[in-house]
Amino acid sequence: MSALLAIEGLSSGYGAAPVVRDVSLSVGAGEILAVLGKNGMGKSTLLKTLMGFVRPMGGTVRLDGAEVTGRAPHRMARSGVAHAPQEFTLFQDLTVAENLRLGVQTDALFHERMPDVAAAFPRMAERLRQRAGTLSGGEQKMLLMSRALIARPQVLLVDEISEGLQPTMVDRMAEAITAARRELGAAVLLVEQNVAFALAVADRFAVLKLGEVVEQGAAGDPAAAATLADHLKV
Amino acid sequence: MSILVLDILTTSAILFVVAAGLMVILGVMKLINFAHGAFLTVGGYAAFLTTSAGISPWLAAPLAGLFGFASGLVIERLIVRPLYDRPLDAILATWGLGIVIGQLITLAFGRGVQFADSPLTGVTSLLGPDYSAWRIAVSAIAIGVGLALTALLYFTRFGLNARAVIMNEALARGLGIDSVRVRAVTFGLGAGLACAAGALITPLLSVDPNMGLPWLVNSFMLVMVSGVSFPSLALAALAFGGAQVLVSTYVSPIVGGLTIVVLAALVLRVNPKGFARG
Amino acid sequence: MAEPRFALSRAHRTAALGALTAGAVVAVGPLLLDTYMTNILIRALFLAAVVMTVDVLWGYTGVLTFGQSAFFGVGAYACALVFTHYGFGADWGLLALALGIGAAMTIALLTGWLAFFHGASPLYGSIITLALPIVLTQAIFSGGRFTGSSSGLSGFPTWYWPVEVYFWIAGGLLVAVTTLGWLLVRSDFGRVLVAIRENEERCAYLGVPVSRIKIALMMAAAAVAAAAGFGYAAFTNVVAPELAGFLLGTEFLIYTALGGRGTLLGPVLAGVGIDVTASWLSGQLPFLWKLMTGVAFIVVIVLLPRGLAPVFMALGRLIPGGPPEPPAALVAAPRRAGPGAETAAPPLRIEALTRSYGSLQVLKGVTMTGHASELLSVVGPNGVGKTTLMRCVSDGAERSGGTVEINGVALGRGAPQRATAMGVGRSFQNTSLFDSLTVAECLQLARMRVDGARLFHRRDEIRLPEPARDILRATGLDQKLAEETRNLSHGMKRGLELAMVLATEPSVLLLDEPTAGLTKAERGAIGAVLTRLTREFGLCIVLIEHDLDFVREISDRVVVLHQGAILMEGAVEEVVASDLVKAVYAGHGADRGAAA
Repeated sequence: MSALLAIEGLSSGYGAAPVVRDVSLSVGAGEILAVLGKNGMGKSTLLKTLMGFVRPMGGTVRLDGAEVTGRAPHRMARSGVAHAPQEFTLFQDLTVAENLRLGVQTDALFHERMPDVAAAFPRMAERLRQRAGTLSGGEQKMLLMSRALIARPQVLLVDEISEGLQPTMVDRMAEAITAARRELGAAVLLVEQNVAFALAVADRFAVLKLGEVVEQGAAGDPAAAATLADHLKV
Repeated sequence: MSILVLDILTTSAILFVVAAGLMVILGVMKLINFAHGAFLTVGGYAAFLTTSAGISPWLAAPLAGLFGFASGLVIERLIVRPLYDRPLDAILATWGLGIVIGQLITLAFGRGVQFADSPLTGVTSLLGPDYSAWRIAVSAIAIGVGLALTALLYFTRFGLNARAVIMNEALARGLGIDSVRVRAVTFGLGAGLACAAGALITPLLSVDPNMGLPWLVNSFMLVMVSGVSFPSLALAALAFGGAQVLVSTYVSPIVGGLTIVVLAALVLRVNPKGFARG
Repeated sequence: MAEPRFALSRAHRTAALGALTAGAVVAVGPLLLDTYMTNILIRALFLAAVVMTVDVLWGYTGVLTFGQSAFFGVGAYACALVFTHYGFGADWGLLALALGIGAAMTIALLTGWLAFFHGASPLYGSIITLALPIVLTQAIFSGGRFTGSSSGLSGFPTWYWPVEVYFWIAGGLLVAVTTLGWLLVRSDFGRVLVAIRENEERCAYLGVPVSRIKIALMMAAAAVAAAAGFGYAAFTNVVAPELAGFLLGTEFLIYTALGGRGTLLGPVLAGVGIDVTASWLSGQLPFLWKLMTGVAFIVVIVLLPRGLAPVFMALGRLIPGGPPEPPAALVAAPRRAGPGAETAAPPLRIEALTRSYGSLQVLKGVTMTGHASELLSVVGPNGVGKTTLMRCVSDGAERSGGTVEINGVALGRGAPQRATAMGVGRSFQNTSLFDSLTVAECLQLARMRVDGARLFHRRDEIRLPEPARDILRATGLDQKLAEETRNLSHGMKRGLELAMVLATEPSVLLLDEPTAGLTKAERGAIGAVLTRLTREFGLCIVLIEHDLDFVREISDRVVVLHQGAILMEGAVEEVVASDLVKAVYAGHGADRGAAA
């Protein structure tokens, strides 16, 4: 399976010091890669760099073979990359429907795909006219995931979606992500601190420490899980 | 309705339509367009030219609006876009632009005062006492413009994109919205609105190269106080416009001209967000 | 002239030399030029004095002001009004001048109070300076016969001295004022102005009284402008509302931008040059000239923000100017008992602190105490309120409820300057310092609260307390005092920031992720420094950190924040080993108030 998303030697940061150092990863179509690591290790920055919000200092990013390094965020979005960020995720003052409409380029597409969203997240369909800011934390995460999926992305970048969610909700999220892999053949990059959730959903994992990839492996492999525990000890 | 009430309502409506263009640009681009007064003046001269050319005065505002929109697109590309990160410098650059436009107008038309024909002459007793027909018409057009802009913002896809950019430009870009194009169109829209407003009000006053200046300052203060929201701007226009009329009538017209500036400065000192929510 | 850093006496020597040369040019000028040129120049010279004040306000301090023309007009009208309606003579003249300057300074005080309060946006301030000339011109219009309304006043009694005398007066004023201005911007105080322009917020947290400085500067600028206006009116024998107007105010900005903001001499020369050319041209040409100036202005703002002066300065650098002056020397500050010494109260006490943004509650009743000689780490997942907590301690206006006490004294609603004066020192998550200042100048800036800043001199020594000098030695910064901050590595910037905060002699140190972006070696160095600060110097340090290994190594106590409240606190090992904390960090905190 050739990589849909190929990252090679990527470095980036906010000032002079790089926060992401020489990272090389690849994710194939229909594959879920979990990116693990403690706080402040560069995971969010990696996603932001892929999405074009942070300028890369070096390295390349390829999407389905084509080079997209440093492309502006709106062009990445239109190239089929959906980003579910950790902060400033939704337009709090817009309704659920408006937030979902913004997930696709035209309103026609919105109406076409809304039934799929309703099937996966019925509660969103119920609350279309509600202001996003009035939803509970878990519902907001649901909305975030719906918005990412309504775009039918080729590549899905998810940043700590399970944070603060109740167990049932976490399961719902896992279902949605695996469905994306199955139905869309999307490559999913799952940044997580919740190791259990990540390993249950992902095919492979990578560990980031101080911006560098220090470990990679298959999610089901028990030997890998052991070294993982070492890296993530609190 | 008494004359005073009509004065207040029409003055507020005029202030609203003049300030609308400035607010649209401020909302989406977070930028104060100091060439706003110059665009108003250009609109005024467009009305004058329409009169001189014998074209129906009803076409003055639409023609001015189109011209303003096209010029706005060019200006945004050349002058405003490079100053995205430097808002104070953008004020200066647009102010410089205003000066250049003013000088060009002076070279072309001279420094004297010119007049434009009014599409509606005379008075009407439609709303009670005899009152300038065109003034009432302008107020009606102002309300119409406000409604049209609100519809654009809330019922079209462009409006949704613009609102997204207003709320959080980075997030909007992450969702595929080309915020650079939204900003360019917005600047064109703001400039077009200013030109059209200038064409609308010229038949009521007159036009000279510095006509737009006091309107610039008043519009600016109103927009600062109201924040980015059409209902809020309408409210501010009503409150401050009303105050201006009252002061002009009962104290003196010269002091009246200062009312908006002074009141707005004080309001903002107490509450830097003005009337805006949150 | 080249741009090395001048020390005390050398700057004064250069200033004297410059003033004498310019003075000689002024003395000789009218003898060489024809009457027409001399006339035009006199006006331009008076205006150039005002342009200089605009550069000090805008170019150096970053205060965009449209209103200097208002003060110019006040001075001019003071002259005309007194001479027209009251009397004429040396005593009346002095009275009129005093009135003009006094009125201008009072108006400047009011304007400053309105425009420059803590938290005011620079845009608002600029708009107030914009409204000022408008209000003034309207006041003049409404003055009827007294002020001459829109026609102004003319033909009032004045001193009909020969044109040469006025030239010497105007030129003399300009030279005197520019020399003083030059010494001001070269002094320690001048560096404070630049710091305000570059990072006003950081200045506030170093205890610099930003609002008061801006108001004082505005008052001084008003006095100069009024004096120039007085001279202008006495010479031209005519005043009109345009002298106080908005258009003239913006012309000053244009001259400043074209001449090169922040260079002082550039705007002065540009002011003289452009104004003389505009007056000298006749017919349609003045409008074309104004058009060209406008276009040049736009081009300069967009493409060359620093004007044309840097081009000339680069040429000037080719002329050898002698060896650069050595930077100031570091000396020990006298060891004083800080605000914490007198009292038995803990350095930091927070009680029931809350912070809400509308309906969103970020901090929900945090209560904690920081003791002297203690390093307290605050940890917790992202977004849990750690930085907000720090903000609430260093800025009294931030919190929504609860109390903060520093050394037993309540912070109340005090601004950051007050917190700093009470003994709080805060470092920031991002290293935004003052790019164009050198290391030495940054340190001198940090000492402003304690040692003050000289107005027309530059001190040749920087007095620093032991902790600050410690850091400078540990990071090697004491060898780089003349280096501009923008050239420092990330690790060194962190060190400089810490040294600057320590220079304010705090008793409580708030550090927000001090090790972010540092190499392993740099982390170790910082850790050692922090430990020394608590052990030897008795500071109370509160640290926000993500790196739990670092926390484990150096902390005395740990507080864990979760969703805006304290989850747990205690000794390092106890907290780190706790299952609850591990669960929170691993994201299993579903039963602890998780979202539904």
